[in-house]
Amino acid sequence: MALLEIRGLVKRFLGVTAVDAVDLTVERGELVSLIGPNGSGKTTLFNCVTGYLASDAGHVAFDGRTVTRAAPHRVARLGISRTFQQVSVFGRLTALENLLVFLQQHQEEDFFARLVRTRRVRRLEADAIARARTLLDLVGLGARADAPAGSLSYGQRKLLAFAAALMPDPELLLLDEPAAAVNPTMINQMKDHILGLHRQGKTVLLVEHNMDVVMDVSQRIVVLDHGQKIAEGTPDAIRRDPRVIEAYFGR
Amino acid sequence: MAPGQQRYVVHVLIFTALFAALALSYDLVVGHVGSLSLAHPAFFGVGAYTAAILSTRAAWPFAADLAAAVVAAGLVAALAGVPLFRLVEHAFAVGTLGFALVAWIVATNWVEVTRGPLCITGIPKPVVGVPGGPALAIATLPAYYWLALAALGVVLVLYRLLTTFRLGRAFHAVRDNEVLAASAGIDPLRYRMLAFTIGGALAGGIGALYVHYLSVMCPEEMTVALTVNLLVIVFLGGVGTMRGVLVGAVLFTALPEVLRLAPTWRLVIYGALLLVIVVRSPEGLEGLVRRRASAR
Ligand SMILES: Nc1ncnc2c1ncn2[C@@H]1O[C@H](COP(=O)(O)OP(=O)(O)O)[C@@H](O)[C@H]1O
Ligand SMILES: [Mg+2]
Repeated sequence: MALLEIRGLVKRFLGVTAVDAVDLTVERGELVSLIGPNGSGKTTLFNCVTGYLASDAGHVAFDGRTVTRAAPHRVARLGISRTFQQVSVFGRLTALENLLVFLQQHQEEDFFARLVRTRRVRRLEADAIARARTLLDLVGLGARADAPAGSLSYGQRKLLAFAAALMPDPELLLLDEPAAAVNPTMINQMKDHILGLHRQGKTVLLVEHNMDVVMDVSQRIVVLDHGQKIAEGTPDAIRRDPRVIEAYFGR
Repeated sequence: MAPGQQRYVVHVLIFTALFAALALSYDLVVGHVGSLSLAHPAFFGVGAYTAAILSTRAAWPFAADLAAAVVAAGLVAALAGVPLFRLVEHAFAVGTLGFALVAWIVATNWVEVTRGPLCITGIPKPVVGVPGGPALAIATLPAYYWLALAALGVVLVLYRLLTTFRLGRAFHAVRDNEVLAASAGIDPLRYRMLAFTIGGALAGGIGALYVHYLSVMCPEEMTVALTVNLLVIVFLGGVGTMRGVLVGAVLFTALPEVLRLAPTWRLVIYGALLLVIVVRSPEGLEGLVRRRASAR
C-alpha cells in the first residue's frame, strides 16, 4: 500500500481550477518531486492534503486512512509534517522553543502528570530538548538556540522551519520550496539535508523550483501545469519529455 | 497618618490587588493566545451578579457563591466563545465588544433578577473557614486586604502555570502563528477556547470578591469603562508579561486614586496614554524596560 494516495483531487477557486483531478501516490521511503510553473497548483495540492483547504472532489489517504476532511492539526498528528513556502516560525518563541512546540502535541497530554512534573514528564522534556538541540546543530543553528526566532535571518528562519518539521520524526514530509530565495551555499545544504532524510528511509514529497536540486535528489518527478498532471517519471524521462519542455519554455 | 487616611490607603491597596488579578486573567486571553477580546467585563459581571444574588436572596455561604461565580462565568465564556471564535481578528474584537454591551444591557434591564439600576445591595461580608472548624468573618478593611492579596496570589500561581511549560508554549504558538501551530498538531481553537474560558472564570471569581467588598453590585460596574481600564493596564504595563501587567495595575489603579483624579479626566488621560504607547512602544512599559536593558 502506498503511504500517500491522492485520487482525483480537485480544488477550485472562483473561476480557476487550481488542482484539476490529480492522481498522485508516494510509496513508503520514496522521494518524489512535484514541479510545475508558478500558479500550477503545487501549494494548493499541499494545502488540500494537509487539511488547510477543503477539496471539492477526490480522496486522500495516508497510510490507508482517509484524511480528506481532516483538520490540519489532525493530519499533523497522524505523522505528516509540512513546511510552508512563505517562511514561517513562531517569532516570539526562541529557536529551541519553536522545535519543542512541534514535538509536544505528539505526546500524550496527561495534565496532572505535567502539573506535578513527575519523573517521566521531566524525562520526556529532557529528551525533547536533547532532540531539539541535535536538530538545531544539524541545520547549523546550535548557537542561536535561545534567540527569538523573529530575530533570525531569512535563511536561518527557513532552516529553523525545516528542522521544526523534522522534530516529531514524521513518516511523511511535504516540503514547499525549501531551497527558494536562499543563497547557493544554503541550497546545497538543503539538498544534503533532503538526501539525508531519504537515506534514513523517510518519505518525502518535494515542491521545488530549483531544477538542479530536483534532478539530483528525486527518484520520481510529477509535473503539474494549470492544475493538471501532465507528466510523471524519472528525472531523465522528465528532462526529455516534450510536454514538460513545452510547459516550462514553450510560452 | 490619620485613621481616615489609613483606611483610604488600605482601600486603594484592595482595589489594586483585585484589578491586578482581573488584568492577569484578561492577559491570559489578550497576551498569551493573542485574541483581542473586549468581553471581559461581561464575565466579571456574571460572576459579580451570581455572587450578589446567591448571597443575598439564597443566603449562600461565601465559599459556595464564590465557586458558583467562577463556574457561571466560565460557563458563559465557554458558551459565548463558540460563536465568537468563528470571528477572527477585528471581527472578533467587535463581536466581543457587542457581547459585553449585550451583557450590560441585560444587567440593566432584567430588573427581576438584577434589580437593574436599583442595584443589588446588602451583600454580606465574606465569612471564610473550614466546615466544622472556626469561621472567620472578613469584616474589617485589613482582613479584606489579606483576602484580596490571597486571591491575587492564587491568580498569579495559575497564570504562571498556564503560561509556561507545555501549555504556555501551545498558547504562544497559537498567538505567534496560528497556521504554523496547526501544522505542529495544535488545534488553535481549542487553546483559544481554553484561555478564554479560564480567563472568564477567573474574572467571575474576582467579580464575586469585588461585590462582597463593596457590598453592592450595579450594572455600571460592567461597562466599557472597565474594558478601557483593563486595556490600559495590560497594554501600558506589558501585554503577555506578568511583571508588566502587575506594574500596569499598580500604576493605573493606585496612582489615579492617590492623585484623586476625577473619573472623566481619568478616561481622557487613559485614552491619550493608550495612543502614545501604541505608537511609541507597542510592548508597553515592559518592552521599554527590556529594550533599555538590552541596549546596555
Ligand atoms: N486562497 C486562494 N484563493 C484564490 N486563488 C488561489 C488561492 N490559492 C491559490 N490560488 C490560485 O490557484 C492557482 C494555483 O496556485 P498555487 O497552488 O499557489 O500554485 P503554485 O504553488 O504551483 O505556484 C493560482 O492560479 C493561484 O492564483
Ligand atoms: Mg507555491
